[in-house]
Amino acid sequence: MSATDSPSAPPSPTPVSLAEVGQYSCGLTLVFVLASTCWVLLPYTGDLFVALVFLMAIVLAGTWWNRGPVLMMAVVSALVWNYFFIPPQFTLHIDKPQDMVMFSLFFVVALSMGHLITRLRAREATLAQHHQEREHLLELKHRAELLAESERLHRTLLDSVAHELKTPIAIIRTALDGLGQGNPYAKEIETANRRLQRIVESFLEMTRVESEALEPQPDWCEIGDVLHAATKPIQEELAAHPLLITGTTDLPLLRLDSRLLAQVLGNLLHNATRYAPAGTHIEIAASLAGSTLELRVRDHGPGLPLGAEDQLFEKFYRAPDSPAGGTGLGLAIARGLMRAMKGDIEAHTHPTGGAEFVLHLPVKTRSAA
Amino acid sequence: MSKALIIDDEQQMRRLLRMVLESRGYEVCEAAEGQLGLQEAAFHRPDVVLLDLGLPGMNGIEVLKRLREWSDVPVLILSVRDQETIKVEALEIGADDYVTKPFGTAELLARLTVIQRRRFTRQSAEIVVGALKLDLLHHEASLDDAPLKLTPTEFALLKVLAEHAGRIVTQNQIMKQVWAGQSSDPSEGLRVHINHLRKKIGDAGPRIVNEPGIGYRLEEA
Repeated sequence: MSATDSPSAPPSPTPVSLAEVGQYSCGLTLVFVLASTCWVLLPYTGDLFVALVFLMAIVLAGTWWNRGPVLMMAVVSALVWNYFFIPPQFTLHIDKPQDMVMFSLFFVVALSMGHLITRLRAREATLAQHHQEREHLLELKHRAELLAESERLHRTLLDSVAHELKTPIAIIRTALDGLGQGNPYAKEIETANRRLQRIVESFLEMTRVESEALEPQPDWCEIGDVLHAATKPIQEELAAHPLLITGTTDLPLLRLDSRLLAQVLGNLLHNATRYAPAGTHIEIAASLAGSTLELRVRDHGPGLPLGAEDQLFEKFYRAPDSPAGGTGLGLAIARGLMRAMKGDIEAHTHPTGGAEFVLHLPVKTRSAA
Repeated sequence: MSKALIIDDEQQMRRLLRMVLESRGYEVCEAAEGQLGLQEAAFHRPDVVLLDLGLPGMNGIEVLKRLREWSDVPVLILSVRDQETIKVEALEIGADDYVTKPFGTAELLARLTVIQRRRFTRQSAEIVVGALKLDLLHHEASLDDAPLKLTPTEFALLKVLAEHAGRIVTQNQIMKQVWAGQSSDPSEGLRVHINHLRKKIGDAGPRIVNEPGIGYRLEEA
């Protein structure tokens, strides 16, 4: 019988547990009690009734107990029925052929009952387990969907806020162009508008960096293109600071998110133009060590406040005597972006004066690809 | 006189653009939303369309798709920053170029002029961009009348850029036209060839400007 054992049954051959031992003894007791009761009733009922009572007990036991105890009950009650109830009593010997048949039938029915019922229960248990697993998966999926939904909402909100803030700035810009360059008041408005634009963009970028809605999209690029993209939006500010660029021409193609890196460099350069006196150089040095790109941006300004080398990457940090008109977000964004790209940024005062920012970024290079 | 259609949901923006364009001799019509914009385009047959991507209701991409079903009119996209993927999508379904808000008037007008100039320039077998000349008949290039030695791939690449001189060409568009989409790591090969081209052209000719995340633009020096 055990050869037809269902493969879907859970791995059950565990060592006999305490509960199972209890079931074995209960089974024996039950058979004993039923046998005694039927022994008393035998003159009124006949031995077939006893067989039915035993069968019923096995079926009932099967619905609650494990396979072992039920099969044991089947065997024991068959033997008890034979020994005590089938004539001639008190022997395992059977006289009449029909009693012989009855006994065999009882034995087979009892055994298959026990087996079928326990197998049914095993299958039920597996089903329940599957159900539970599916519930669990559904719950996980639901949670992921919720998360994606909230992220999308966040992004939509950010987009709409960005649109609302940028539109008036764009309108002012276009209107100023219409006014022409001659008017000194218009020039002031333009300066203020540019500043406003920077602030708005910084806040939006900071939000984006913090919401982790930022996914770097690396592609092959030329470091020269990155520098071009970084310097283009701040051409006016950079006009007063000649750029000294070294090491970029020796670099192979690099795989990185050029837009994000350009933004980091743009922020650093803009920072440098604000702190370093007009006319001083800003130096950019690029080098590649293994698969790490190193970029150094150095100005010839007053250098960094002592002990603030790490603090200055914090949000809203403003150096003690920094010029008015900064948000204190530029460097925090720079660090956020670098970390989003699995790189990092640090700062120190150069031994010969001026602030130096060092960027490290893991990149794939062309030859290594 | 050119006719321009402005599709933008910001009334003030429309008014300003109308002033700017009318001062340059454009005849202007406008629409505040996509569906109306399409109707205006069908009715007025403009020579150029300025399309805002962030329209309420039917968005700019959808408007452009519908427009392209029946019209070949040059389209300039007005977008805000950080919409690179949408910009690329717009360019690939047929927009001609884009400006990013806030934009300068000079930049806007320059882009409009360039995109209106296209399509009529393919009458001859020669493309001229500043000092650069491409002879499509003999597959030869020259810079200041001095022959420029180019490999076939470089020539094909330069041809695509020169045909779109002053306009942005997305990376995919270049890949499709030069390599017919057959390359294992397309962008890598593209960068290498662009690099070679830049070196060969040097400072004398037009510059190949990269716009991160979007593509390339050949600019007259």
